Amino acid sequence: MHDLFLESRLIENRRQFFGRSTTGIGVAALSSLLGGNLARGEKTGKGGRIGGLEGIPHFAPKAKRVIYLLQSGAPSQVDLLDHKPSLEKLHMQQLPGDIRDGQRLTGMTAGQKSFPMIKSPWKFRQHGQSGTWISDLLPHMAEVVDDICVVRSMHTEAINHDPAVTFFQSGHQQPGRPSIGSWLSYGLGSEAENLPSFVVLLSKNTFHQAQPLYDRLWGSGFLPSRYQGVKFRSQGDPVLYLNDPAGGSSKKRLAMLDRLARLNRIREQEIGDPEITSRIAQYEMAYRMQASVPELADISDEPESTFKLYGEEAKVPGSHAANCLLARRLAERGVRFIQLFHRGWDHHSNVQRYLPTLAKETDQGSAALIADLKRRDMLDETLVIWGGEFGRTVYAQGNPNSFGRDHHPRCFSIWMAGGGIKPGITYGQTDDYCYNVAKDPVHVHDFHATILHCLGIDHERLTHRFQGRDYRLTDVHGKVVRGILS
Amino acid sequence: MKQLTLLIFLFFSGVCLSRAAGPDFNSDVLPILSNNCFQCHGPDAKARKAELRLDLREGATRDLGGYRAVSPGKPEESEIISRILSDDSEEIMPPPKVKKQLTASEKEILRQWVASGAEYREHWAFVAPAQAEIPVSPAGRVVKNPIDRFVLARLKNHNLKPSSEATRSTLIRRVSFSLTGLPPTLEESDRFLADNAPGAYDRMVNRYLDSPAYGEHMARHWLDLARYADSNGYQYDTERQQWVWRDWVIDAYNRNKPFDEFTIEQLAGDLLPQASEQQRLATGFNRNHGITIEGGIIDEEYRTEYVMDRVVTTSQVWLAMTMGCARCHDHKYDAISQKEFYQVFHFFNQVPERGANGFAPKQRLASPLAATRKQELENELKRLKEELNKPRNLDALLEKWTSQIAGQPGGGWQILSPKTMDSTGGSTLRKLDDNSILAGGTNPPKDIYEITAGTASGKLTAVRLEALTHETLPGGGPGRHSNSNFVLSEFELTAASARNPSLRKVVKFVKAKADYSQANYEVSKAIDGTVDNPNGWAVDGPTRKKPATAIFIAKAPFGYEGGTLLRFRLRHEGNFGAHGVGRPRLSVTDDPAGSLRLQGIPADIRLIAARNPRDRTSQQAGKLKEYFLKHHNPDRMIKERIATLEKQQTASFPETMIMQDMARPRATHILHRGQYNERGEKVSAGVPAIFPAMRKNHNTRLGFAQWLMDPTHPLTARVAVNRYWQQLFGTGLVKTAEDFGIQGELPSHPALLDWLALEFIRSGWDTKHMYRLILNSATYRQTANVGKAAYRSDPENRLLARGPRMRLDAEEIRDSLLASSGLLVRQLGGKSVYPYQPKGLWMELNNRPGYSKAYPQGKGDDLYRRSLYTFWKRTVPSPMLKTFDAPEREFCTTRRSKTNTPLQALVMLNGTQFVEAARHLAQRMLIEGGETLNERITYGFRLVNARVPGQPELALLRDAYTENLQHYQSNGQAALQLLQVGDSPFNNALNQAKLAAMTSVARLLFNLNESITKG
Repeated sequence: MHDLFLESRLIENRRQFFGRSTTGIGVAALSSLLGGNLARGEKTGKGGRIGGLEGIPHFAPKAKRVIYLLQSGAPSQVDLLDHKPSLEKLHMQQLPGDIRDGQRLTGMTAGQKSFPMIKSPWKFRQHGQSGTWISDLLPHMAEVVDDICVVRSMHTEAINHDPAVTFFQSGHQQPGRPSIGSWLSYGLGSEAENLPSFVVLLSKNTFHQAQPLYDRLWGSGFLPSRYQGVKFRSQGDPVLYLNDPAGGSSKKRLAMLDRLARLNRIREQEIGDPEITSRIAQYEMAYRMQASVPELADISDEPESTFKLYGEEAKVPGSHAANCLLARRLAERGVRFIQLFHRGWDHHSNVQRYLPTLAKETDQGSAALIADLKRRDMLDETLVIWGGEFGRTVYAQGNPNSFGRDHHPRCFSIWMAGGGIKPGITYGQTDDYCYNVAKDPVHVHDFHATILHCLGIDHERLTHRFQGRDYRLTDVHGKVVRGILS
Repeated sequence: MKQLTLLIFLFFSGVCLSRAAGPDFNSDVLPILSNNCFQCHGPDAKARKAELRLDLREGATRDLGGYRAVSPGKPEESEIISRILSDDSEEIMPPPKVKKQLTASEKEILRQWVASGAEYREHWAFVAPAQAEIPVSPAGRVVKNPIDRFVLARLKNHNLKPSSEATRSTLIRRVSFSLTGLPPTLEESDRFLADNAPGAYDRMVNRYLDSPAYGEHMARHWLDLARYADSNGYQYDTERQQWVWRDWVIDAYNRNKPFDEFTIEQLAGDLLPQASEQQRLATGFNRNHGITIEGGIIDEEYRTEYVMDRVVTTSQVWLAMTMGCARCHDHKYDAISQKEFYQVFHFFNQVPERGANGFAPKQRLASPLAATRKQELENELKRLKEELNKPRNLDALLEKWTSQIAGQPGGGWQILSPKTMDSTGGSTLRKLDDNSILAGGTNPPKDIYEITAGTASGKLTAVRLEALTHETLPGGGPGRHSNSNFVLSEFELTAASARNPSLRKVVKFVKAKADYSQANYEVSKAIDGTVDNPNGWAVDGPTRKKPATAIFIAKAPFGYEGGTLLRFRLRHEGNFGAHGVGRPRLSVTDDPAGSLRLQGIPADIRLIAARNPRDRTSQQAGKLKEYFLKHHNPDRMIKERIATLEKQQTASFPETMIMQDMARPRATHILHRGQYNERGEKVSAGVPAIFPAMRKNHNTRLGFAQWLMDPTHPLTARVAVNRYWQQLFGTGLVKTAEDFGIQGELPSHPALLDWLALEFIRSGWDTKHMYRLILNSATYRQTANVGKAAYRSDPENRLLARGPRMRLDAEEIRDSLLASSGLLVRQLGGKSVYPYQPKGLWMELNNRPGYSKAYPQGKGDDLYRRSLYTFWKRTVPSPMLKTFDAPEREFCTTRRSKTNTPLQALVMLNGTQFVEAARHLAQRMLIEGGETLNERITYGFRLVNARVPGQPELALLRDAYTENLQHYQSNGQAALQLLQVGDSPFNNALNQAKLAAMTSVARLLFNLNESITKG
């Protein structure tokens, strides 16, 4: 229970510091966590936005926020989204050399002598009014095809997981650059009152050969570290160090923070350093997060219909479905960039055994998220993305009977939906071999430019000076993919 | 006030309107040209448009066919002026597509510059520092050394006054953190406060310079530049052993190794004539980059990245140049061509290394902090190996061993021959020849084996239970369940007198040991008096189909004179049905409990040994020899000892990565677009032409290092002293400490920077001298209590009108709470350690079998070492350190950001390390702090903040204590919980409610903004 008297005194303290500020408690703290620095005289922008760069957005945004369901390990496009009837005839034939055309292979199949093409063992059907082709492995996604845009012509340069996922996350294959989410926090600031603007959710990993993840994938690179993603965890404290220590009564917490504020204020008056003011505000914000985060993670207020939609799995913390539901709850609370990482798509052998498991783990939650956002009228302002770091080869890795598929950078499929994206379309085309892009290629840099565009940002003008150079997410490349914009 | 702000604005905006001769090229014009024009009209020949080059005067003023881009003195005839003023979107420069726009004042500056003659000047940083005249100090100002005269001159230009000297308690805390990263101890504070003789401050500074903590603190800063980590980075981020090199850095700082030696040894120690082991170790600097082990990667691609990283790091650390920009094309701003980049690349391209698993070359080199220990180990190993090669008389050794064991007390383990065997569940129990009991037949859910046996001994101390395997058991394992496991829920024994069986006693066991126990199924659970589930001894049968042995030690010796009857009960009654022990064998001993081993010498062997050799049968002699050779062969023991020592050596003195050049040099090519597989022209070693030339015939990596340290080099000394300044004041004299190039910021005090650089060279690159000099200045000693207005007008203190004040770095925050609570373990160097961190962080990102492990949190001292010893895992850095802006160490970091976030508040309020340290601080307050509450709180306050709290502060803290005391007095359980946070036990002698209340006060103290701020 909150002590109302003390709470009012905390507010009183704040008023004394922030003077005429009317933007609500914790604004300075937020500004410091997520954007600018009130104490140094930066202003809050329009619409209660905290932090962010002046002049951004550059134009009216279609999307206010992003939910990015990153499928780490690289899902097989030819078995999920890229329907290839041509493979019926080509099945078990060798991939022609002129199609591979000197493409470098990973060390895993570079020594392989034979490259037999393998058609998808699963059936594809057309769904919805749009007639979008979807594999039978994704029955739930099949129901929302009219709301999504399938992009079949993605391509990248990286052929291994670390550089490829680093590229997707930061626009560069080597570590060290800021992640997309941190760029957005930096540029756009936050609209969440009591939550960070960039939240990361990790699905529990069930596939034993899954690729590792790394903190830097949601790191801030050379941007100040306050822009890095904050991990919401399904085990232990939902945010690291959120819970009071054992025996450190929460009843006493408010009294403690009140005293702390008063002690800090004594010094603030003696010294005059505005950092002290800011520090006081951080503790207020921390206090509010201690309430807002558990409230966010507590799904007991969700009606049964929610679990019908997302599946019973959504009650298991850390499952893909539970994280999709959390993503929706975060979106409702104004979090700018929500990124879910699901691992286990790296099927170098036995695609037939592993792929259905992964598809099942992710299908219902992803589809439910689209449907849920839509029925809440949030889909048109939320950009939802699903995809991995590259694709998989049409040819078999290893024995064709228990075939695997190796990494494939030259073509792969993702889907996007919601804010700014044309629904019910399939964009781009691959060749008959599902090896090269045949029409409308979309490079990773183009993908980034398009995301920023949906958020009202000209990707060439969101820059940060570091080591003498104005860096941007899209490096010196990137073209907005107009064909998929609504 | 307004005027002041304006002045500062003018100072920093670089606009100097007063100059009649037109704008200053370097401060006013160059930044505009560089930011807006050089991308297409700069040094990069390939990107150059219209063949116009504006970074050189001859390029800008060249005749372009009847007109010039810049016509000196004639803005109206200068194409660039008409183009920047144009409002035609086809004409205007910069063109709209580059999305850069000049402001009106920038346009005006360019116009004035052309009008005044369009003078070009060389970029300041590429011209060697010249001895400037030291300004005359204004009257009435405190001047401690020339630094102050430079600073005062600038202040005077801005009509500002310096601030007065800070209080002594502020000064000692500031100096202590500046030089050691730790708060002053009370003794250090008292000594300084009581020292009224002249020179007290200098003496205090010298004490900290002489402290071993100085080397640790300075090394910690260097580690950011050196992108040091304990893991390899990239995907799997496995462990590496570069801490040996880290120890070299600590030692080098503590020895005050001159910066030129410090540099040359790290960059090229291996190439020095007769390079010592330590000089080779130093070169670990350029092996600190990440190394990948991801399957399927292309070797050369990553090997190229490693070399790139060396060039980028080395040029950033010593030259503050962004050489990396010239990897793919000529540098856009600084005149470094792509070819020149690869000429420098060549120096670092000679390592005999690979891209995948590229850990070689490595060498086993001793940490300078542990050289003696390494030598000792090596000597002992040498001795043992010689010993192993000596011929030996085995028969003599056997006799010697036999007489030894014959003379020893106790009979070892006596294997019991079971008399009766019953199963309450109906299993079949059958005695085998080796006296083990094999279970078979039905496998009941619950079963108790009742086994009786006799022994002649009357003073037994312990029982041994061997759970042996057998081919008839499921999976050939030790248990009866189909998964090969057993769960022994309870092990019981009753002893009776053989003479008078009515004399009997239940044997109480106090301790159990086993050579293997399954997690959560420790053997002690078989003697805890309960069969509740999960409760019992199990041995991971499903995965480990091996025998296991347990011993149970009695509280007191048991048995009866004249022989003892033993009745064992092996109870299998947990919820896990059908988990019987498959093949138990029981033994007893009368050896003293303290000397018991799981596998002792069997009693029959002892009996043979005890006989006179002449009385042994040949069969017995054979058995004895067989046993001796199997278990006590001296060769085998020496080999075991060697293995142990080598293991120790590997752990304490691992192989560490070092630099080395290949015998036959690797050719270096320009790589198009920086791509490893797009080779262009072959290049030879060299340095960019904008810098002084290298000495002839010295074009090796060593020559490059020596070239950096040439006293005439324009950058090396400036770059280094600027970083010292940044460390002490928060911001360098050049704010962009990583970039002294054209895109970098100009120095706030150019003459001071040059004077310091020259002083550094003059002193023989004496690092401690430079710290002493800056710390002794009146500038550094100013107070930072200057009021809001001063902070607002110069937030970054670029004019230096006040003393430095900044948040502590992540490591300093953690170290300071360990220090003030008394927990800090001051051990210098060694393998990195694993302090507290929330559970699950490593495994949640990587749980791939064979490539992952859980965070192995340390115990005892390892939890309380200085933070520079915290294991640095690149992909999952310590969350506490990361929250306070520690970098990931993927790459060289010259400046850390200093943020102020709610996540930091959460760490400090709730982190185990913080809460535990608060309890220890509270213990000190209660035990050492004096009698009254005021004294105790003051004591803690001084430990943390080195000053006495004011009355209002004291009152608030007192209230906190009183209120918490009431709370904890009525909530004993809460108090106990709070005191149990952390691994260390709490002081039992103290009243728990009082200790918990004081712990709450200590938490408040740690959370004060002041406690994490220096200055």
